[in-house]
Amino acid sequence: MNAKLVERCRALAEAWEDLGHGPAVPAYASVLVRFDPRRLDPLEAERGVSDALARSTEIEPTNPRTVEIPTRYDGPDLAETASASGVDTKTLVRLHSERDYVAFFLGFLPGFAYCGTLDARIVAPRLARPHERVPAGSVAVADGQTGVYPFDSPGGWRILGSTDLVMFDAAREPPALIRPGDRVRFVPQ
Amino acid sequence: MIRIHAAGGRATIQDAGRFGHLREGLPPSGPADPSAFFAAQWLVGNDGSAAAIEVVGSPFVFSCEDRRLIAVTGREVALRSRDRLPGWTAAFVRPDEEITVIASERTRFAYVAVSGGIATEPVLGSRATYLPAGLGHLVRTGDSWPLGPARVDPTGAGRTAKAPEYQDEFVRAITGPHVERFTDQEAEGFFSSQFIVDAMSDRMATRLLGNLVRSRGGEILTCGVIAGAVQVPSGGQPIILLAEHQVTGGYPVIATVITADLGRVAQRLPGEPLRFARVERDRATDALRGERMTSGPSA
Repeated sequence: MNAKLVERCRALAEAWEDLGHGPAVPAYASVLVRFDPRRLDPLEAERGVSDALARSTEIEPTNPRTVEIPTRYDGPDLAETASASGVDTKTLVRLHSERDYVAFFLGFLPGFAYCGTLDARIVAPRLARPHERVPAGSVAVADGQTGVYPFDSPGGWRILGSTDLVMFDAAREPPALIRPGDRVRFVPQ
Repeated sequence: MIRIHAAGGRATIQDAGRFGHLREGLPPSGPADPSAFFAAQWLVGNDGSAAAIEVVGSPFVFSCEDRRLIAVTGREVALRSRDRLPGWTAAFVRPDEEITVIASERTRFAYVAVSGGIATEPVLGSRATYLPAGLGHLVRTGDSWPLGPARVDPTGAGRTAKAPEYQDEFVRAITGPHVERFTDQEAEGFFSSQFIVDAMSDRMATRLLGNLVRSRGGEILTCGVIAGAVQVPSGGQPIILLAEHQVTGGYPVIATVITADLGRVAQRLPGEPLRFARVERDRATDALRGERMTSGPSA
């Protein structure tokens, strides 16, 4: 996970979309570009990506917003994660809430922002056996990342707490509460 | 208006898919069987951006308030009004004439297209249904849905489209993008194995049972994925992503089913065999040119 590389991916995705061939999905170290091969020859698309990559370096990062997530640290995996990290729960809450995270990109579920990076002292590998139902609003961690489940869903991240914020609302503009590039801060309640 | 007299097991309104909000994590959704969906739209004279009804389960019975051209497509489908009519064929219906979709025990998804299209209000640029986020609509018994304006063209009735070979267990796939995560032997094994479709298959994905496929290096850094991606989780049972797939994934993708064959994947029933036939990228594009897909899912 490298914040500069993520920004570069996002810039490339925007440069690709500016070409008007189709949408793009940036992530940590990759950009998925979509196009219709009947309208754009795949070799032309490859050239388009190279050009977009060259041009995308000129995009200036904009001033990030900060999104605060009021969080109750009452999650089912709080105690176990604290113990795996060799700290008490109070310390784990402090480690999780005292830093600003970067929202790298959205994926998994509508409005789910992959945020990072966690304090290296937080030990949180993905669950070997995922939770069958993670409730909407769950604040969770895994492998150096943190995020908020926008909808009820199965999930393999460790749940530290919960928030009442609505992470995705189709009637809102934009629908996702957290946007890529935002700073995200969890505020203990 | 189209009136729904019986809604089958689970019917939803779908258009080509919602591709404008992938970066907010919104799955494209749209038809599980795009070949059948686009053929139905073409048969009734709609363009590919119109909405139709995706039907799962029987009985599905409907009527239209005014004269319309209709078509039913999908695996082993037909329709009945005064007479029994074949699927994949455009037919005229009179006002208030009741039409029953006839599905077989091998039909997973059927598509009901009506000239003018289902004219629900688009949300976030699309009429496609994605229920977890409350987008689009379930179609229920007793519902009435608005239809778009359509000029009735009498020459359209009787027009037919060719159904894909739904019985064929081979689906075409290009290798990768993460083929380097698999030894040559594993990749060869993957392309020569017969898999069985798992019961846990739905609009999100078709899950496969059979020979386990082993990747090296574990999970990958989360990246964007598309319908047709064949993910290999650490357990080794491949998953083929379909219309309602998550927009990012963390499992290595050994192969990608070509867009022209996505519908045949979606229509495979639990317990049916499925094999992958390796093709080059050019063949994937040629096959797509033979389809009626006028927009999405590629764009």
